[in-house]
Amino acid sequence: MDPAPVLRLEGIRKGFPGVKALDGVSLELHRGEVHALVGENGAGKSTLMKILSGVYQADEGRILLNGAPVAFHSPHQAQLAGISIIYQEFSLIRGFDVTENVFLNREPTRWLGHLDRRTARERTRALLEEIGIELDVDRKVGELSVVQQQVVEIVKALSVTASVLIMDEPSAALTDKELKKLFEIIRALKARGVTVIYISHMLDEIFQIADRVTVLKDGRVVGTKPAAELDKDRLVRMMVGRSIEDYYPALAGDRGEPLLEVRGLGKRDQLSDVDFQLHRGEILGVAGMVGAGRNLLARCLLGLERPDRGQIRVRGQPFAPSGFGEAMAAGLGFIADDRKALGILGPMTVKENATVASLPSYLSLGFLRHAREASDTRSQVERLAIRAAGIGQTVETLSGGNQQKVLLARWLLREPEVFVISEPTRGIDVGAKAEIYRIMREATRAGKAILMISSELTEVIGMSDRILVMHAGRIQGTLDQRERRATEEEILSLAVGHVYSIRAGGAPHAG
Amino acid sequence: MQAESAIPARRRIFLHVLADPAVLVWVILAILVGCCAVASPLFLEPENLKNVFLVQSTGLGLATLAQAIVVLSGGIDLSVGAVLSLLTSLAAGLYRSHPGLHPLGVVVYLVALGAATGAVNGFVVVRMRVTPFMATLATMSLFQGAVLFYAPRTIGGIPRSYRFISDGTVAGVPFSILLFAVVLAACYTLLRENRLGRHIYAVGADPYVAGLSGISVRRTRFLAYLIAGVLVGIAASFMTARMGGGGPKVGVGYELDSITAVVIGGVSLAGGAGSLLGTYAGVLIIGVFYNLMNLLSVNAYLQIVLKGLVLVLAVSFYAKRRV
Repeated sequence: MDPAPVLRLEGIRKGFPGVKALDGVSLELHRGEVHALVGENGAGKSTLMKILSGVYQADEGRILLNGAPVAFHSPHQAQLAGISIIYQEFSLIRGFDVTENVFLNREPTRWLGHLDRRTARERTRALLEEIGIELDVDRKVGELSVVQQQVVEIVKALSVTASVLIMDEPSAALTDKELKKLFEIIRALKARGVTVIYISHMLDEIFQIADRVTVLKDGRVVGTKPAAELDKDRLVRMMVGRSIEDYYPALAGDRGEPLLEVRGLGKRDQLSDVDFQLHRGEILGVAGMVGAGRNLLARCLLGLERPDRGQIRVRGQPFAPSGFGEAMAAGLGFIADDRKALGILGPMTVKENATVASLPSYLSLGFLRHAREASDTRSQVERLAIRAAGIGQTVETLSGGNQQKVLLARWLLREPEVFVISEPTRGIDVGAKAEIYRIMREATRAGKAILMISSELTEVIGMSDRILVMHAGRIQGTLDQRERRATEEEILSLAVGHVYSIRAGGAPHAG
Repeated sequence: MQAESAIPARRRIFLHVLADPAVLVWVILAILVGCCAVASPLFLEPENLKNVFLVQSTGLGLATLAQAIVVLSGGIDLSVGAVLSLLTSLAAGLYRSHPGLHPLGVVVYLVALGAATGAVNGFVVVRMRVTPFMATLATMSLFQGAVLFYAPRTIGGIPRSYRFISDGTVAGVPFSILLFAVVLAACYTLLRENRLGRHIYAVGADPYVAGLSGISVRRTRFLAYLIAGVLVGIAASFMTARMGGGGPKVGVGYELDSITAVVIGGVSLAGGAGSLLGTYAGVLIIGVFYNLMNLLSVNAYLQIVLKGLVLVLAVSFYAKRRV
């Protein structure tokens, strides 16, 4: 249609060790359009935008800006060429004022690098006026509201004459009123001929602001369509559409008494009215988009965060942990999503990693009983099929899958009743995944219960006996898989805040 | 005070102004001076005041400017004291072999050497990627060892012509004060009015954001150490004149004192926040503190204990305010 797109991506490929993040993405952006980019977590949106803005370099493919091929080696280069990105976390210096942030590293100067504050201030004011915003250019950015900070980012981009502006989840921290203001600004940008790439999980917003929508899935473009030709259901269907792979173990036949009961749990406005029970022998999956409150829920259960409201019971006993130690003592175990930062003790050995959570049971008269430590570790290594040169190998030299198994071994030795596992197979190859699934299922057969937070829909559907879907800090719906498996479509439509439920049994707060 | 009893809004403004560390330290200094006047009648003697505020504070003041610029850029310099010892010794050594040198030549020599030591620190931090604390801890040992190897004992014999820097007057105003005022103004202008100064603050506040804005974080860090080296060179020029020589103990304690002054002055040890005006008040507070200790004849070793206490209190004070 448009003969000369402002930006064209051709066959972009990008791989990371063990993952193909982008597998031949092609995309055309018109001048002055708002182009929404949607897809599940891990579909490749962020990677694509990082390539576009110069943070990453593509392995293959071309980027054409106004018809000429470009290659950016830093965000600054992309910015100078007219492509700016506004991140979820702002890249502003809080102690600097508005003008200083807008002109950071492009300060107008007179002789010998002497700053020309007046020119900078006037140009900042002019840009603000152009998009119709009133803002004191001398205010410190740290004192501004979120949407005002966003304005500063936008003005900063405009000050280098941005032709393409990428907004990554711009609405994440905005109130409804602020969102309206943001949309006004976006329309003003459009009128100036700026192309806006709008990334959001909130489908409602996309229909309000986008001209065209591109759906990404597994690193490929599913399709690009004018927003007017789409409705929410069609969009959700484009985002999913994948069958469950067959390497998941069978679901639990029956379940025992509740081990963990949560009633009305809440914290500020980030977590509200969370009710659920976790039963012996059950895997309860928790699905939702990034920022839906899944991690905060886990942190509240584990004593890492104090909820403001609600009760937790563990085996019928009231439970209000003030720290992770108390949660452990009550029989909870935790495997975090960030294996490197929050899981393994990299330079320590397999044995030391495996026994660290249950050291008291290896003490006699204050001395460690190395022989028992070693024999227990060996039996876990065998049971979990951990591939290591020996129990003396340092864990940082193991593969991701084997590191994850060592963490499982750590908690299996401790024998908690309730496991909270976040992203159990992130960044792990398919073979190791299947083994980890088998180990998790074995644990529940032995009478444990698992709360599994996962962003991978196939994993949630494949492993969970029941699925909690969270959205904006609430449980948007519960899907019971013992009757039949949920579909990705059902989960996703709940996760993006669809209120009506596709399925009779899946009404919000069922259970 | 009038503002205390006035309408609440006024009081808020008053408290708001006080919340600025650069203002707060001057208030603390004023209170401290008041305490000194009460504690010892000798304190208010003109000769003593001149000593405390003008003469004694110049050496530490110059060294502290160096420290402040490095700290603002997100680094730290533990080698300040060792470099002072080394440079004063080299100056005295130079005079011993070439007694007829013009003072200006010696100053240029010291500033160049100071810049070289700053470049060494910058190189280790930026190119060898050693954290600033470890890097300057190592260079501190390097420079201190070098001065002991070069001259284990104090070298005297600085000619009268050179001592003009510390003792001379220009139109009745001590030259050392003019020197310090000019250097302070230059540094202030650099940090507040110059592009490089802005970059130093930005890199100290958030190197990641600064990098995303295309600022060369490494170049900025290196230049901060280089400028600090030049300033230490100037400090050494002054101290050579004041001591009438140089030696391995001249700079002892200057790294700690300069860091303490920077912290008391409200510069964040994390970098990127604070001002040189507060820093200058920090220098004077330390000067007054030492003077008070001496006037009250507090044991010299006990003074060191008290100094440590002051540093801990200052750091903890700002830590609470900057949650």
